[in-house]
Amino acid sequence: MSPDSRPPLQWRLPPVPVLLTAVVLIVCAEVGGASMVRFKLELTRWARQAMLERPGTHGLVGVRDVDERVLDEALVKFDAGLRLFHLHAEGMGLVIIATATVAATLAGSPASRRPIIALLTVGGAGYPLGYLLWSGLIPYYGPDRGKTIAEWLVWIPFGGATIVALWWLAGLVAWQMVRRERA
Amino acid sequence: MIGRVGARVAAGSVSAAIALVTLGPATAHHVGTYVPKDNEITTNFKQIKFSVQAGRFDVALRLFETGPLQADMRARATTLPAGLEAGLHAALERGDGAEVERRLMIFFAARARDLAREAARQTADPTRSREARAAIGARFLEAIWRYYNLVDFAVAQRDDTTSVAIRLAFDEATGYARSAAAPDRLREPLSRIAHVLSTLIESSTPARRGS
Repeated sequence: MSPDSRPPLQWRLPPVPVLLTAVVLIVCAEVGGASMVRFKLELTRWARQAMLERPGTHGLVGVRDVDERVLDEALVKFDAGLRLFHLHAEGMGLVIIATATVAATLAGSPASRRPIIALLTVGGAGYPLGYLLWSGLIPYYGPDRGKTIAEWLVWIPFGGATIVALWWLAGLVAWQMVRRERA
Repeated sequence: MIGRVGARVAAGSVSAAIALVTLGPATAHHVGTYVPKDNEITTNFKQIKFSVQAGRFDVALRLFETGPLQADMRARATTLPAGLEAGLHAALERGDGAEVERRLMIFFAARARDLAREAARQTADPTRSREARAAIGARFLEAIWRYYNLVDFAVAQRDDTTSVAIRLAFDEATGYARSAAAPDRLREPLSRIAHVLSTLIESSTPARRGS
């Protein structure tokens, strides 16, 4: 079959729950971003108070010149976590829609299509929540310990799922292109 | 043709997504860099200093009277040489830049000295772990340097031996603070910093100088 005589590619939508997940994730990103701005003062006060109640966790020594620097760093990272959640949730929502559409269209076999779409959806939706978790953990465990917990609970498993699914999908697309070229 | 284009678009989309997402998690654990900011005291000091350097003593006086530096001087009056704040105010009023610089130098040297004394006390606390003492030492050193660094030039202009002695003690203490194995040795350079700064303050106080 010559390339010109091939049937045009028919794009297929991913399953509705996948699209819904992506849309909900984007909505969460927008709500998160808006809340960050609206409740910035309240969030900062809460985080600061929670840190002051745990001087040992944050290495506070009771000297303002030393402690303010420690609190400031933790609060900057607390804010950064919220910002990164907003950013990643927006981005991963779009990544889920784009990659799941490609998988739904090009992964012919349900045996590969379903797990790829499931991994893309679960990994993509879960990964940004790691930043939210990190932010929430900072007042209780400090930036470094909170980061380690978020890494092992969220970033590594969910990010790993997305990476595996994307390489799997890339392999499938490459394989199909090779087959089409040979045909 | 459309089929080939579609497949290429799909391949391109997947490649872009892979680049975005795999680079994402790979760098996700880099969650930003914290750059320490000036606190209200150091900010106010810089405002006053730059106003004095520009010859705008009226602005410097207003910044001093309304800023946190004067409030902090009053709050710490018992640990500062007598009349330091009043003398600084008078120097600003008559436009005496050298005297303003000298009194600000004394103030920040006193702040650094007090921090060094407290650091020596806390890093010698046997109830804390060695790691905690090293971490506390590092944080105190950062706070000491934040203040001393503002006046090091003024100190070196008057007495470069003092400046060098503080820098050497600071470097030594920083080395000990980096290692959890050596927090016991922090006390000595910290005490030396406090002692050198005390000598500097005494030799620079208006009473000693008769001014």
